Amino acid sequence: MKNQWINGLIGIVRVKVTGRGVERFLNQLTRNEILIWNVKRHGTQAITFQIRLTDIKKLRGPARASECKIRFIERAGGPFFLQRLWTNSGFVIGAVAFFALILILSNMVWGIEIKGASPATEYQIRKELDDMGVKIGTPQFKVDNVDVIQRELTDKVKALTWVGVELQGTTYHFQVVEKAEPEKPELYSAQNLVATKKATIVKMFVEEGEQVVELNDNVKPGQLLVSGLIGKEDEKQPVAARGEILGETWYKSQVELPLNSTFQVFSGEEKRKYHLNIGSATIPVWGFGDHQYKEFEQETRDYRLKLLKWELPVTFKTDTIREREEVNRTYTEKEAIKRATDLARKDIKNQLPEDATIKGEEILHQSIKNGKVKLSILFQVIENIAEGQPIIQGDEDDSRFENNGNPTS
Amino acid sequence: MAKKWSQLIRNWMSQTMDLPPDVMMDLPRITMVGQIHIYIENHRGLLAFSDREVRLLLEQGQLLVKGKAFVIKTILPEEILLEGKIDQVIYINE
Repeated sequence: MKNQWINGLIGIVRVKVTGRGVERFLNQLTRNEILIWNVKRHGTQAITFQIRLTDIKKLRGPARASECKIRFIERAGGPFFLQRLWTNSGFVIGAVAFFALILILSNMVWGIEIKGASPATEYQIRKELDDMGVKIGTPQFKVDNVDVIQRELTDKVKALTWVGVELQGTTYHFQVVEKAEPEKPELYSAQNLVATKKATIVKMFVEEGEQVVELNDNVKPGQLLVSGLIGKEDEKQPVAARGEILGETWYKSQVELPLNSTFQVFSGEEKRKYHLNIGSATIPVWGFGDHQYKEFEQETRDYRLKLLKWELPVTFKTDTIREREEVNRTYTEKEAIKRATDLARKDIKNQLPEDATIKGEEILHQSIKNGKVKLSILFQVIENIAEGQPIIQGDEDDSRFENNGNPTS
Repeated sequence: MAKKWSQLIRNWMSQTMDLPPDVMMDLPRITMVGQIHIYIENHRGLLAFSDREVRLLLEQGQLLVKGKAFVIKTILPEEILLEGKIDQVIYINE
């Protein structure tokens, strides 16, 4: 008996032979070197035996010569098994697809829950998240790390003091603490308006109160601009002085700008590589070949795959390799001065309140030394210099008491 | 007559030169494992096969195996492995 399992791979057919002289037929087969096994008799006329699938064709000659009839009654082994597998492949495909689907769905963002935010802030947060790519239905390995989301949210949404980001399964939970911004008092208490800066007054809009200074007056910080006490000399009424006093102020700024400078910039070329890490083995999924960049920066993001609530020992790794270039920037003197002025202006604008405007600028001093442009610029700025200063009530009461007391005494 | 002469010479050779007789004389070599297996080499073809009886052609005469539930496990031109319950092995000389 030879290796039966090899026959099993090739395929086995059970043959039923009926008729007279089956023994002679068997002898014929053995002489033709056909392997036969498991010969059994069924009744007087019929026998069955098994042969290899490849020997089936050799059966034909002897069968013609004999008086026997041949039927194949059973098929087993390799090719037949494969055939059955193929016909039933739907089940296998279904099972695989099911697991694949569960795997994919377990690694998607399915919910974003924001707690503790007012509707406006919540809307803003959702918009920011949308921009960041945290959307329902995106695969989680495309989304940034929780820490990164947290940082970006706190940076971008001004109304947030703190936001806790937590990823539970497929849902992002955001615990929001909003800044408690004090509401601006609608009703002002009695106040004067005083100057905050040294300035020359250019324009005045006084809504309430008594104007003390005139146009083109030079004022010092703390100087009274609009008095909150109105009325006659004797009976002064305290009111909340309100208004806008625009003054011309001066800012001096110094800038230095090198004529030649080198920068590291990204050229925009990038290559992405995706890997699957299973244990310590790494299987490249997409992005083959090496990059050709001389200078580059590599960013790696790992994402642990999940199946339902379990974490799999499989990590999806994304490598982003960005090409870096060195760029030389050279300014002519004229350009450099212009750039430096722009820089200075930007710098000043950052310091100023939003409603301030830059009226003019004047370069006080300019020098080019050691490949650097040094500028000293004076900016002429128009801004609101008025600031409320409460009138202390106690003094008021006292004076009124005195005023009231005078006639009686 | 010539056949007999050759037989005699072969017989004598196997006896004097200590050669295995089955090779020299085309005799069947039968190996049995209890009652369940019988392995016959040097047969000359199957004459009859049923689940109670197997008749094999030999170089000289026939071999009849009787028993129950016979299954030919393997059959090759000169070898046969029979399985079942073997009761009798009979040589038939005509």
